[in-house]
Amino acid sequence: MMRALLVTIAGAALLATAGCTSGKEETATTQDFDPKDFSGTWDRYPLPTDAQPDPTTRPPVPGAIPDPPLKPEYLAEWQAERKRIDEANAAGKPIASHYTHCIPDGMPAMMQAMFPMEILVTPRQITFIQEAYNQVRRVYFNDTLPAVEDAEPGFWGHAVAHWEGNDLVTETIGIKDRVRFRNTPHSASMRIHERMRMIDRDHIENEVTVEDPEYLTGPWRWKWVYQRRPDYKMYEYVCEDNREFADPETGEARLRIDTE
Amino acid sequence: MKLRSLLLWSLLAAGGMTASAHHSFAMFDSENQIRLSGKVTEFRWQNPHIYIHLQAPDPKGKMRHWTIECANPGILNRLGWKFNMIKKDDQLTVVVAPLRTGEAGALLKQVKLADGRVFGNGAPAGPPTISIEDGKPLPKAATP
Repeated sequence: MMRALLVTIAGAALLATAGCTSGKEETATTQDFDPKDFSGTWDRYPLPTDAQPDPTTRPPVPGAIPDPPLKPEYLAEWQAERKRIDEANAAGKPIASHYTHCIPDGMPAMMQAMFPMEILVTPRQITFIQEAYNQVRRVYFNDTLPAVEDAEPGFWGHAVAHWEGNDLVTETIGIKDRVRFRNTPHSASMRIHERMRMIDRDHIENEVTVEDPEYLTGPWRWKWVYQRRPDYKMYEYVCEDNREFADPETGEARLRIDTE
Repeated sequence: MKLRSLLLWSLLAAGGMTASAHHSFAMFDSENQIRLSGKVTEFRWQNPHIYIHLQAPDPKGKMRHWTIECANPGILNRLGWKFNMIKKDDQLTVVVAPLRTGEAGALLKQVKLADGRVFGNGAPAGPPTISIEDGKPLPKAATP
């Protein structure tokens, strides 16, 4: 008798569980992904090798990144440097960049996803791993940033995040002076805001806003979009055995060739 | 409108093509590509670029030791290359953009292995403009 009762209770529990599962499945059908689970590997969208995305099935292609709204006293120097780089390339004598020295992007450039990017969501943090230069950026949930004067400068700085609905909102400070996105100078007060959300299960958009009252006349905004790269396993990228070098006399990026 | 969108797309794609992970490729002359056939003396599968060292005559017939730059292992793995698909003493044919300085260095555009398989060098390096079979100019790529 007791055994029969137990079986009945177990059966009822099973039915109740099955009912719950069924409910979850129905929810999953209307939105077949967890909008807060960014985990996976992602490419920039679109890649240069992608066919033109079909606008009926894929998100709009993000627009070009505008020039930085630098204050006039910094803009002339920035334009002159861009001209110098363009002219050097046109002359076939490219100027060595930080990449030539195997120096990584840092922020915000690493979020352009030059190569595939892996995102790991764990209870304490969200971690972005960029294949190029083995870059790792850790963004802590529900933490506070240090005061600007206490923020030790680094390539990826100090970053915190919280959820606003299904939007991941991050704030980053503490970027080294020589870590410059598109050669744009910045002060220790630069703040990088990001608002990321999953457009659908296979695309994340990242609205980036850079603020720096010392160098910029206003916010510098653009959008990056990432597309899922299913089942991709990230490669290592150790910038060793580098055979390019900055010519000490000309500053040009040169190829070290074997003696004939 | 459609034409404008296509033009914009080709501009965007072209902009992406010129981007390089590690350095500009402007030191290579992509407008005057050459075809080389010779023997591999070393294959270096490494970041930030892979290198093929090739003993091969230049277009004037002078034997030279070429240092040929490729993309990186990540890009080329994604294109189907393998770390061990080229070995010392392999006979290869390549289409390359030579250094503008005239030194025996070049950027790979396409490679044909001894077994006949042909591989490109990824979007940043750009496409070949001459045939790997006979060195003759290829028709210009159609707008995507």
